[in-house]
Amino acid sequence: MTEVVKVQDITKTYGKKGQKQYQALKGISFDVQRGEFVGIMGASGSGKTTLLNILSTLDQPTSGKVLINNRDITTLNKNQMADFRGQEIGFIFQDFNLLDNLTNRENIALPLSLQNVKASQIKPKVEKIAERLGIDQILDKYPAEISGGQKQRVASARALVHEPAILYGDEPTGALDSKSATELLETMKDLNENDKVSILMVTHDPYSASYAQRILFIKDGKIGNELKKENKSREEFYQEIIAELGRR
Amino acid sequence: MLWKLSLTGIKSRFKDYLVLFSGLTFASAIFYMFMSIATNSTFLKGSIAIAFKITQLVFGFGIALLAIITFVYIVYANSFLLSMRQKDYGMYMMLGARTSKIGALIFLETLVVGLFATILGTAIGIGLTQLVSQLLINQLGLQIHKFIGFYIPALLWTLVFFAALFFLAALWNRHKLVKSNVIDLLHENQKPVKLRHNPVWKFIEAILGLGLLAVGYWAMANYKVLLTNSIGIGFFTIVIGSYFVFDSFFTAIVNLLRKNKNFEYKKLHSFTLGQLKFRLGDYTRILSIVSLLFALALGAITVGLNFNNMTEQALESTYYDAVLYQESPSVKKQLKKVSVKSETTLDYKLVENKKEKIPQILYIPENEITDKKLKFQHFYMDKNGQQSYSTKTFNVKDLKDENSDRGHEMRYQLASLTPYPDAQVKVVSQDQYNQLKAKNQYVKLLLVNNFRSNFANIEKLQKMSVKQMVGQPEVESKSIEVSLTNSKSASYRFISSIASGFEFMGFFLGLAFLAMLASTLMFKVLSGANSDKPRYNMLWKMGARKSLLKSSIAKEIGVLFALPAVLGVIDVLFGLQFFKSILKNPYDKIWIPFAIFGVLYVIYYILTVVLYQGIVLKKENN
Repeated sequence: MTEVVKVQDITKTYGKKGQKQYQALKGISFDVQRGEFVGIMGASGSGKTTLLNILSTLDQPTSGKVLINNRDITTLNKNQMADFRGQEIGFIFQDFNLLDNLTNRENIALPLSLQNVKASQIKPKVEKIAERLGIDQILDKYPAEISGGQKQRVASARALVHEPAILYGDEPTGALDSKSATELLETMKDLNENDKVSILMVTHDPYSASYAQRILFIKDGKIGNELKKENKSREEFYQEIIAELGRR
Repeated sequence: MLWKLSLTGIKSRFKDYLVLFSGLTFASAIFYMFMSIATNSTFLKGSIAIAFKITQLVFGFGIALLAIITFVYIVYANSFLLSMRQKDYGMYMMLGARTSKIGALIFLETLVVGLFATILGTAIGIGLTQLVSQLLINQLGLQIHKFIGFYIPALLWTLVFFAALFFLAALWNRHKLVKSNVIDLLHENQKPVKLRHNPVWKFIEAILGLGLLAVGYWAMANYKVLLTNSIGIGFFTIVIGSYFVFDSFFTAIVNLLRKNKNFEYKKLHSFTLGQLKFRLGDYTRILSIVSLLFALALGAITVGLNFNNMTEQALESTYYDAVLYQESPSVKKQLKKVSVKSETTLDYKLVENKKEKIPQILYIPENEITDKKLKFQHFYMDKNGQQSYSTKTFNVKDLKDENSDRGHEMRYQLASLTPYPDAQVKVVSQDQYNQLKAKNQYVKLLLVNNFRSNFANIEKLQKMSVKQMVGQPEVESKSIEVSLTNSKSASYRFISSIASGFEFMGFFLGLAFLAMLASTLMFKVLSGANSDKPRYNMLWKMGARKSLLKSSIAKEIGVLFALPAVLGVIDVLFGLQFFKSILKNPYDKIWIPFAIFGVLYVIYYILTVVLYQGIVLKKENN
């Protein structure tokens, strides 16, 4: 197996030198293997968001290296970073972040347009992923006209349409009801197992986390414990996570 | 405590407030400038009495329009202020601040910001009026009596008008905030956009809009048949037509572009088109107003500049640029300051014969006429009923013809060259001329190299030369007056003083309108910036380069600026037809006003884009 994400001892310090400084990340290292589904759990303020921002080139680490698909993303310039995000990374956010003035079809097509994919190739790609996610009937509606669960599926389709190296989820079920949340998580699991999509999901919800194969616990800017699902059932793994959370 | 919060709120959004504040300041400055010129009677009386009534009419109309557009402007600037503040106010209310207290807060905030801006704006307006009027007067070579920027009635009008406007705006803001829910205030940005679909009605509307515009343009071009009706018809049809066109036609074009997948799926095109689709629905009213004002402003400048052509006509009315009667040392000295292209002399003798009906007789030898080929400007009405001139050469045959009109005209024109315009003219052979017992006199006829730029010196020369004649026994003081007014420099001065007034007004009216309409559009665009922030942030996260986002913004705003401009330009091109009744060729040198206007409009566009990008795009801190 090869690593799709390789994080080497990254730190992040806020505040200028000489002034009051705050260290959000204090040396974090881990890998995500290709085709793996990794969860990152931690309380508010533990550094989850900072970590995800750095992994997605939205922010820069103070020190350390991040390799995605064997490319060091900490050495890229702004335009290279933008292109890199467009090509190698897919995002799903808690609040969907769909563009309300575009139809769902246009929303999904956007990452491809940004990469100058030909219009004739865009249509089949959009329809293929939409069918995969069961949203092919609502493609020509606007985001305001569909349910929250559907919105998150459209967002997932948009995150995956350009076949990124890795899919990042930032509390993807945070704004969904429990039924929609389960459906989305099942879909993510399915994509991971059958389509070999590598997923890194940040969450504080043990139920969501139980769908991952491996969970990293982050606390006060450092990686603490690590749990692996291995051959356990999802319910057993869930109990294990609860126990781990209770231990702190 | 709330006051402190409010102040820190302003401080944290200082940049946005600066935009708003400078916009309001500018509005009041423009309004003052306009009022100071429109109500300043010394200025208006300075430009000839005939023009006075027309001037007042034009300015009355101008003030009404400017007041309306200022009102619209304040409404948009105000909604910009509200869009910045409502989240903060929602927050205070959530924290338990009483509605009445919040109401008082927003009321005072609006009023204070508005009044400060007005006072500062008026002060700037005084300076600007002085500066702009000087600039215009010098640049256009206008002849206007001295003009002072500070004028109390204008000051009072401006203060009262703006105070009233801001009072209303403050009431409105208070009303709006107090009435709305805390939740709505906090999530104003996230409200889903309402969608409208009715292709059939849109289609009818598009056809109707284009049809109405066509009727309006037709009415403008056919002012000869419709007379003053063409204004009414044109105004009505173009106003409604513009609205329909913006509401349907342009949305249809955007939809058509969205159907073209090769175009749509290219970079951020789909996003830009999506933005425009929703914007156009929201912008229909403002875009139609802006297009009309654009047409009025551009039209005012074009027509104003065109009055300059009236001076062209003044130059055509006389052939010789200056006529010298005597060359005293001082006249000779002045002559050296004028760049002379050619000079001819005309010999004559003046004989008094009391028995004749007209006792003064001018004798001119035939040779003078045949050899020197002297010329004059013949006045006539052309096919279109326009006053025109053509250059003709004096000839002996016509001059001797006592009965033809041509003979009369030539003799009159010849006499006009001498200091004795009322004298009879007799053309005689050289022999007869030599036998006449009278002093041989002559006039010197000058053509100069550049009349306009030489004007001051030529006028002085002409005056000096004529004044030399005072005291000569045969010359009556009345005919000296006539000689002076007949001269080219005198008619040029007369016409250009009228034309200058109109030109100045046209320019001023046009610039004031332009400033207001462009600022209004700017604030309408900027007031949507806050709700666009998350969209651009999202695109950035998805991997759109910042340069791409910038160009998307520039395109989107570009379309919003270009649409009313295009319609406005078409309006002007057809509207100018109407002025054919007053002006000889309203389309003459049309590129000059268009270029001036275009440059200023583009500056506004760039400013809007830069401000918008500043609000919408995050700074990348690496």
